[in-house]
Amino acid sequence: MRRALRLYKVFVSQSLKSLVEYKVDFLTGAISFLINQTLNIAFLYIIFSQIPNLIGWEFEQIVFIYGFSLIPKGLDHLLANNLWKVGYYIVDSGDFDKYLTRPVNTLFHVMFESFEVDALGELIVGIALLVSTVGSLGVKFTVLDLILFIVIIPFAASIYTSIKIIFASVAFKTKRSGHIIHVFYMVNDFAKYPTTIYNNLIRTIITYVIPFAFTGFYPASYFLTGENPLFNLGGTILIASVLMTLAIFIWHKMLRTYESAGS
Amino acid sequence: MRNSLKIYKPFTLTGIQEFMIYKANFLFFIGGEILFCFITFFVWKAVFNSSSSDSFMGFTMTNMVVYLFMTYLSSILTSSDAAYAIGEEIVSGSIAMRLIKPVNYDVSFLFQEIGNKIIITSIMLIPVIFGIEVYKFIVSGEIQFQWIHFLTYFLSIMLGYIISFYFNICFGFLAFYLKNLWGANMLKESIIRFLSGAIIPIAFLPQTMGNILNLMPFASLTYTPVMIYMGTYNISETIFFLGLQVFWIIVFFGLSKLIWSAAIKKLCVQGG
Amino acid sequence: MIHVENLKKDFKKTLKDPGLKGSLTSLIKPKHEIITAVDDISFTVEEGEIMGFIGPNGAGKSTVMKMLTGILTPTSGTCLINGKNPQEDRKKYVKEIGVVFGQRTQLWWDLPLTETYTVLKEIYQVPDKQFKKRMDFLNEVLELQSFITSPVRTLSLGQRMRADIAASMLHSPKVLFLDEPTIGLDVVVKDNIRKAITKINQEEQTTVILTTHDLSDIEELCSRIVMIDKGKNVFDGDLKKLKVDFGQSRKLDFEFDLREIESVTKYCETMKEKYNELSYKIQNNKVGIQFNSDEVTVKEMIQTTLSNVNIRDMVMKDSDIEEIIRRIYGKEVSLNEE
Repeated sequence: MRRALRLYKVFVSQSLKSLVEYKVDFLTGAISFLINQTLNIAFLYIIFSQIPNLIGWEFEQIVFIYGFSLIPKGLDHLLANNLWKVGYYIVDSGDFDKYLTRPVNTLFHVMFESFEVDALGELIVGIALLVSTVGSLGVKFTVLDLILFIVIIPFAASIYTSIKIIFASVAFKTKRSGHIIHVFYMVNDFAKYPTTIYNNLIRTIITYVIPFAFTGFYPASYFLTGENPLFNLGGTILIASVLMTLAIFIWHKMLRTYESAGS
Repeated sequence: MRNSLKIYKPFTLTGIQEFMIYKANFLFFIGGEILFCFITFFVWKAVFNSSSSDSFMGFTMTNMVVYLFMTYLSSILTSSDAAYAIGEEIVSGSIAMRLIKPVNYDVSFLFQEIGNKIIITSIMLIPVIFGIEVYKFIVSGEIQFQWIHFLTYFLSIMLGYIISFYFNICFGFLAFYLKNLWGANMLKESIIRFLSGAIIPIAFLPQTMGNILNLMPFASLTYTPVMIYMGTYNISETIFFLGLQVFWIIVFFGLSKLIWSAAIKKLCVQGG
Repeated sequence: MIHVENLKKDFKKTLKDPGLKGSLTSLIKPKHEIITAVDDISFTVEEGEIMGFIGPNGAGKSTVMKMLTGILTPTSGTCLINGKNPQEDRKKYVKEIGVVFGQRTQLWWDLPLTETYTVLKEIYQVPDKQFKKRMDFLNEVLELQSFITSPVRTLSLGQRMRADIAASMLHSPKVLFLDEPTIGLDVVVKDNIRKAITKINQEEQTTVILTTHDLSDIEELCSRIVMIDKGKNVFDGDLKKLKVDFGQSRKLDFEFDLREIESVTKYCETMKEKYNELSYKIQNNKVGIQFNSDEVTVKEMIQTTLSNVNIRDMVMKDSDIEEIIRRIYGKEVSLNEE
């Protein structure tokens, strides 16, 4: 464990250093991210200017859910970004070999190398949206709620990571799976809205098959309404654990079919 | 003229072949786009259900569906990879390979992508429009389709594509100045998506904002063609907006030439 | 130390006809072909040996290396390194080996070089004191000091290669696998690297397996050579044996008085006509005659030349390993000789 932290330290400091070095890139990225978020909120605002509520949900509640969904996404982006690269080019170029010559678990190795400072933006915006809507919602948040929140977030984040792990490991067989990861990742967009707006098929998919609904809507709705803690919170923890176990299993299974690339 | 067109034909053939090779990529691309389309569809459905009346700012639900899916089709037809492709060539240095060929840099790209677009259009245009019309017919008993609208739509789409191409070229040349286009690309994508009406029809926006956006190039990409298809514009408006598209083509074409001459000097300085 | 027995590796390759029709048929009814990249390879390497692993491109060298380093799993056969099987307990096994891939780097691209070593120290759990001693040693032998703080992406090929070799040796591995470590490097850097390898091997009895196309690497470093072609073992023995078995190619260099150039040329021409594989080159007052000692023995050659030419100075060169390899690759030599 301590070893992990020491390894991490190097990459964290490097990520921060390169941030300073590539100021322009970072700024354009940051600005575009902010504009993106603003446009998303603007969209919600415009809709709500014409309707009293969205099938029972008010503007602030929807923004809360949206902000909430950014946090696990950001956390996963912060800590597991390398998985994209595995799918896009690391396996294809043969660079993956070196992971196999090191005395550490390959998955762990890929993960500790990735520290994406950019992701802090998602976390900050997410938290800011939560904080700003909490006031106008009139919901009382207790210390227990805070603890539950801190506990549930890593589980929700791990759902993203598990999905990335699964589709990245496809690259072991097909050499490239970046675009597959991309499409499945985009399904997460469904998670920032209440699942009730979707038809049954989609609801089933985003709840049980590619369970992104547990990264945003379900846990967030618990904190808003206090309803169904077993499903909303317990479900998140359960699904996240099952998915992560599956992901690790698939990663190692696919790794065995790895045939390296080039000579 | 005929001779110079002949030079570019091989580029178009390359474009077609490239499509065959990267068809998986294409499938995933439209897959991703359709996901987005469906999410927006469901959100709007919920909006309509929560609204007290049958229509929302002048649109009925059926209109909205037609609008959304036409926008989806149009954004795929007018999308251009030029920025990405140029950025890649600049970063990898293979731009040198294209420069030594006796062709116009941007035109060669254009013809290559046209090859791509020909295939995409033949695959998608008829099925999507057919699907939309069937939906509309089932729900409301009438169809949207009218020949004059469709043909004008097709013209407008072609104009929209050329705007998109030259706009992307200008953007791609930014790679000469910024090492990593990733952040700027995200910005471009989200701005275009929003301002071209993909998420919200421009008609929904407050009056002044809507008027400004209508005049901006992004609306000319997909909003104008879709509005034409849906018959929202009368004849004078149609002519105006088509003319606006032509205007933007000229603007971005000129801009790309300017940036090109500035950038090519920089390239020569950096090379060797 | 290293024990390879009946190693075999098959790859399944999908066959696809060209064109659109081909793409469609391969989707519906895929055709496969089994390619045997490594076919029954066996050899043993003792501790402290430096073994040269050579063969033409595509012979299967990299595939064997990858199986020995745990990257690929053999289809059949065994390989044991220091009693351990690379596929069984990868993490434990890998701790005792170091690997350098000539064409790819192990180093972290964006980090300054010293950070790579810091991370590797943690990965291989090298104790602080040992780490310091090691870094000093590697710094001295590979001269890393001048660029050790630079980011890896700014290093030249020679610097990067030296850094990669240092990275592979950091944890004092028992076995070092070097896959084309001198490729693309200039003579001076190659020399440095060879010296480093020799030093490590001498001081620590590190076993080294080296694949290379550079034959001077082999001449300077390897006591033992294994040659494979088309996945099969072609030769296994030491360098001397290689020269004895395959090295009939010889070169006789001599100097003469320029006034005798006509008679010297006539002599060379006569020899050339007499012996098929004999060739010569005259430059000013120097001559080099390349001949096959199967056709004319060294003794004969010397005697004939001395009796026909007024020699000023003479050198008999041993079989050029390049010639040997070239002939084997070109299959001028029967594969049955071992």
